[in-house]
Amino acid sequence: MAAALASRLTKGRSLLGGLTNAFSGLMSSSSGSILSQQQQRTFIQMGTTLKVVDNSGGKEVTCIQSLRGKKGARLGDIVIGSVKEAAHKVDVKKGKDAIQKGKVKKGNVVYGVVVRAAMQKGRVDGSQVRFDDNAIVILGIKEKKKDENGKEKKKRYAGGFHQPLGTRVFGPVPHEMRLKKQLKILSLAQHLV
Amino acid sequence: MATSSHLFPQALHMIPTSQPSKKLRLSSFLSCAPSMNPPRLSVSRLSLNHSVSKSSFSLDAKARREVLVRAEGEGEGEGEAEEGVDEGNVEEVVEAKAARKARVKLGDVMGILNHKAIEVSEKVRPVPEIRTGDIVEIKLEVPENRRRLSIYKGIVMSRQNAGIHTTIRIRRIIAGIGVEIVFPIYSPNIKEIKVVSHRKVRRARLYYLRDKLPRLSTFK
Repeated sequence: MAAALASRLTKGRSLLGGLTNAFSGLMSSSSGSILSQQQQRTFIQMGTTLKVVDNSGGKEVTCIQSLRGKKGARLGDIVIGSVKEAAHKVDVKKGKDAIQKGKVKKGNVVYGVVVRAAMQKGRVDGSQVRFDDNAIVILGIKEKKKDENGKEKKKRYAGGFHQPLGTRVFGPVPHEMRLKKQLKILSLAQHLV
Repeated sequence: MATSSHLFPQALHMIPTSQPSKKLRLSSFLSCAPSMNPPRLSVSRLSLNHSVSKSSFSLDAKARREVLVRAEGEGEGEGEAEEGVDEGNVEEVVEAKAARKARVKLGDVMGILNHKAIEVSEKVRPVPEIRTGDIVEIKLEVPENRRRLSIYKGIVMSRQNAGIHTTIRIRRIIAGIGVEIVFPIYSPNIKEIKVVSHRKVRRARLYYLRDKLPRLSTFK
């Protein structure tokens, strides 16, 4: 075990050259690995699965493109995703939670805004906020049409902002939505963080 | 190299004819240390000229120390003259003279600044003693939220001490989702911090709460 520990140290972070003492090896590895154990959360990028937190019909979306940022999307950014899992039509028909007809189905490519991210987002007053999961609110379905319409869609997105498809939003929503002009989401939110 | 050889005989020549006592001392110092490297000599020679016209603190460190030592040796007269010349560096001069050869330390500047900033902030709003494991309630004024103060309640997961930017990380389950917020406790936006209760913890950082049941991070 000591040998394995020593080999692990020299591979990644060799803090004290050549270690022989297992105890000292343990000490240095713990001080080095605490930083890595703190789980540096990163951006939302292609392949990230996101939870859908409105009643638009989708349940889980995989990000295929982040519309902002070279490294990926953060809290409040808009992403394009593919719906991997959607609510069955049978599930909820009536009441407040009702899923509207003709809404998101599995396989749809949708726009969504990230409302909760596991990566911390700094605010202007020096505070930082982070959530335990990644979640989006679906804004609009991306139509798979001909070039003209496709181009039209793109232009429209650059200018204005889509408003959410669903009529309810679950879970806490951060204040960043105000800056991103997602006022409808703010008003629908259960709890503002 | 050529310049130094050119300067050296000049320096020797200037010794008997110089008028200010300070300059005399330095020249004698130069003359009594001929083993110095020529480039070094030329540098100190130039700074010597500098010292005559301006204050003594434009010298390089070694020459400056020598000046101060000799000034001390001479008595109060030289010292006062130096102080009169440089009012901005009065403290450093006094320190150097009192410590007798101690380097003019810039001291713990950041620490001093931080202390001052914390004092100012404490006058406006005193900050209670907060430790990991406390359950606190924070009233925050958010410029975006205008009217009311936002209230954040939760358990203190960690406290990072960094002077004025000392932060605490609060965790709470809000509407079913765990939320962690880092607050700088000396921020003017924070209108009130109150310790509601305390939970016994045996750690300084409670990151294990992330993996635990949400029940442990829920606070009514």
